[in-house]
Amino acid sequence: MPNIIVKGLKKAYGNKQVLKGLDFTAEQGEVIAVIGKNGAGKSTFLETLMMIRDFDEGTVNLFGKDVGSLGAKGVRELKKDLSIVLQPTNFYKNLRVKELLELFRSYYGKSADVKATIRDFELQEHLKTPFDKLSGGWKQRVALAIAFMSSPKLVILDEPTTGLDPYMRDVLWKNIIRHNKEHNGTILLSTHYMDEVERYCDKVMLIHEGQSNVFDTPANLLAKTGHTSINDFYLDRIGEKEAVR
Amino acid sequence: MTMLATQLKYDLIMFFREIFYLVFTVIVPPATYLFMGQLFGGETYGGDLSYVQFYTPSFIILITFSVVFFAFGFDQVMNRSLGIEKRISVSPVNMRTILLSNIIKSVIITSLGFMLITSIGIAVYSLKISLADFFSAYAVFILITAALLTISSAIYSFFKEMKSALVFSIVIFQVVLFTADFTVPVAQMPQFVQWIANLNPIYHINHIFIDVWNGLFVLNTETTISLAYLTLLVFVSVLLVSRRAKV
Ligand SMILES: Nc1ncnc2c1ncn2[C@@H]1O[C@H](COP(=O)(O)OP(=O)(O)OP(=O)(O)O)[C@@H](O)[C@H]1O
Ligand SMILES: [Mg+2]
Repeated sequence: MPNIIVKGLKKAYGNKQVLKGLDFTAEQGEVIAVIGKNGAGKSTFLETLMMIRDFDEGTVNLFGKDVGSLGAKGVRELKKDLSIVLQPTNFYKNLRVKELLELFRSYYGKSADVKATIRDFELQEHLKTPFDKLSGGWKQRVALAIAFMSSPKLVILDEPTTGLDPYMRDVLWKNIIRHNKEHNGTILLSTHYMDEVERYCDKVMLIHEGQSNVFDTPANLLAKTGHTSINDFYLDRIGEKEAVR
Repeated sequence: MTMLATQLKYDLIMFFREIFYLVFTVIVPPATYLFMGQLFGGETYGGDLSYVQFYTPSFIILITFSVVFFAFGFDQVMNRSLGIEKRISVSPVNMRTILLSNIIKSVIITSLGFMLITSIGIAVYSLKISLADFFSAYAVFILITAALLTISSAIYSFFKEMKSALVFSIVIFQVVLFTADFTVPVAQMPQFVQWIANLNPIYHINHIFIDVWNGLFVLNTETTISLAYLTLLVFVSVLLVSRRAKV
């Protein structure tokens, strides 16, 4: 049974059609990247899965439950198995890192382990720093730590590594992959870094013109299209469609 | 329940860490109360009330107003515009609990303001109030806080942007300060200021509360009009808030 099944998802803002019938599935334990141009609808798609954005048509099924037919309580129940990092991410600015961890633990109940999270994400150094005094990379690190604290079955990350230096990106990816291995959690993220897709992801979905244009493993994709890198594939695919129009 | 307690704890911590809120709530009003008393302490107000009798309840209302408008209303707009509310809404927490915590926080802080001004009055201006008047004043004060929380929720639900909400808050603070009998008596001001004062709910609240505080409250034409006007505002606010909640 897949963790996520999305069928024919449509979403418009006013008369701007952003998603035009998108299909998607994710199995337990997969790391999946969502790529596409700025404004392609990545955040819209991810926020639909986070259940904070309404959609117009189609079905969204999380852990075997139809999201469209759930009440407020059912949605809250589902959110216990779900963690996210938003684009951009923000927390109460004058709470300290340790305090934010405690606060979010109270949201998730006893299952969340503050101590283990501090250890895993090496947060010791800045436990007493207020959130808005952290650098961009550290903010992102804290956001990820909070997302992984509740050992969720599904983690959705909207551009978690944008704006980070290569070392920080590596640290964050190691954490993502470790969580995935230890908890067999599904991880779904959007990114503009094609090297991350190649190196770390089991599958990649390209959202283009409101649909899932490609959805495959990076290796298959390269083999089928004959490109040497996902970057080349991306430019080729996006550029071609633009030129035709 | 533990969630509510934790949220409340951090809501209070955040309030006391925010210099901006502290200045407008627990620093400026008490300081003004002290300062004005030094200048005009000997005069009589609103007929035959002394400075403490008139301005102690007044400054309690001023603190309540600024807490409810800055630390409750504006704070909500800030959390909304910075995406903090969105981040919380994706966790398994009932947004009503967050709101409830915010309401309890505001009541705790306004109550502290009530006690602070009263203590300064007793210590510096030999304030005297009977126990009965004190308790009825506190009861009415809670009602006033509830009314202001409702009105503030309605007003700030129109703001999406932090900057516009901030400008609005500061302007409205000035307007309220000068047209609610907190400083220069409205009766001595130009006609148009008196007009604004009559539309200013805080002006009505202030006068009702001064009466209650001194055990002088009676239902007459003036207080009836004030009460009716305030009831109408609260009613409209409830409508606005519940309509917004559905969208
Ligand atoms: N709340 C909204 N109201 C109106 N239009 C919106 C809203 N949110 C997004 N859009 C529009 O929908 C389109 C898709 O936006 P979305 O944020 O999903 O793109 P994205 O793929 O995440 O882009 P990026 O790579 O820049 O993050 C954009 O054209 C955007 O302007
Ligand atoms: Mg986006």
